[in-house]
Amino acid sequence: MGSAEAWRDTKAGMWAWLLQRVAAVGLLGVIVMHLKNPFMRPVQATLLGLVLLHGMLGIRSILLDFGLPARWHRLLLLLALLAGFAAFALFWKWRWY
Amino acid sequence: MVLKVFRWGPGTRERLQKYWVRARQGMTVLDALVEVQRGSDPTLAFRYACRVGMCGSCAMVINGRERWACRTLLSSLPRGAITVRPLYNFPLIRDLVVDMAPIKSKMVATKAVFVPVRRAGEEASFAAIGSETRERRAIDAAVECIGCGMCVSACTMVGHDARFPGPAALNRVFTLQRDSRDAAHAERGEALLSEDVLARCHGQANCTAVCPMQLSPTDSILALRRRAVMRLFGFPQR
Repeated sequence: MGSAEAWRDTKAGMWAWLLQRVAAVGLLGVIVMHLKNPFMRPVQATLLGLVLLHGMLGIRSILLDFGLPARWHRLLLLLALLAGFAAFALFWKWRWY
Repeated sequence: MVLKVFRWGPGTRERLQKYWVRARQGMTVLDALVEVQRGSDPTLAFRYACRVGMCGSCAMVINGRERWACRTLLSSLPRGAITVRPLYNFPLIRDLVVDMAPIKSKMVATKAVFVPVRRAGEEASFAAIGSETRERRAIDAAVECIGCGMCVSACTMVGHDARFPGPAALNRVFTLQRDSRDAAHAERGEALLSEDVLARCHGQANCTAVCPMQLSPTDSILALRRRAVMRLFGFPQR
């Protein structure tokens, strides 16, 4: 940190917020790459991964906004990540072309 | 055991100073700081009062997380040096002592002050609200705030936007907005809709994670936001 302030921990809710923002910024670049050539598998995988990450974390925020107790936010983060992985595996397995 | 303590005073450079303390069973971080002050360094400044986890005066950042020093056992922390620094987001006075004035000024700014309903010919209404009533149960979890400032320190948005009232003030506003004896709901409701208040909370729940009273300012803020949104859409809110 460059000062005597020492480090501070990053709590689960902050990771959720940070990951969603990072995914959004990442999506900007990946979407451009995807538009240039939609058939590159690594770009497709990254696009799908980032969309799911961003979307699932967004659903988590909406659920909290609509009144699920904030005490559940760690569980919701875990569920959002698990649902993201599951959806990724499902979509990736389902090749329609 | 090594304590690395944040030191700063007017005219000096900030630094982490190392102290060696002999750890005993049941020793808390506050005990260790008192031992340093009584022994090797009487110039070390920190604040405490009750010493038994009631007042919140000894709130500080221990190993990167807001905790009350009197309730933090050395044995509960990972082995190795223990880092102690003052609360974030408050003006620093000296060493571990911060100026708690922003707690009050942010409450005043958000009108988090009880305004009694006055009916014609009556004194201010202070009728008790029964503990089993729906009104009381709605705020039960939010009224026990001891004003220790840990939530304000943990809130990244307070650090980012000086006009954001922060979790302590908004938690207090929530209890007032649900109090039928209070007459300032509409006035406060207008202030809540400004850009720097409810919309600024990102729901990271850092405040809830560190609250020593196990309150959830995040829930209070989100509840206020739901009511504000309903009001925006024209649904009357008490």
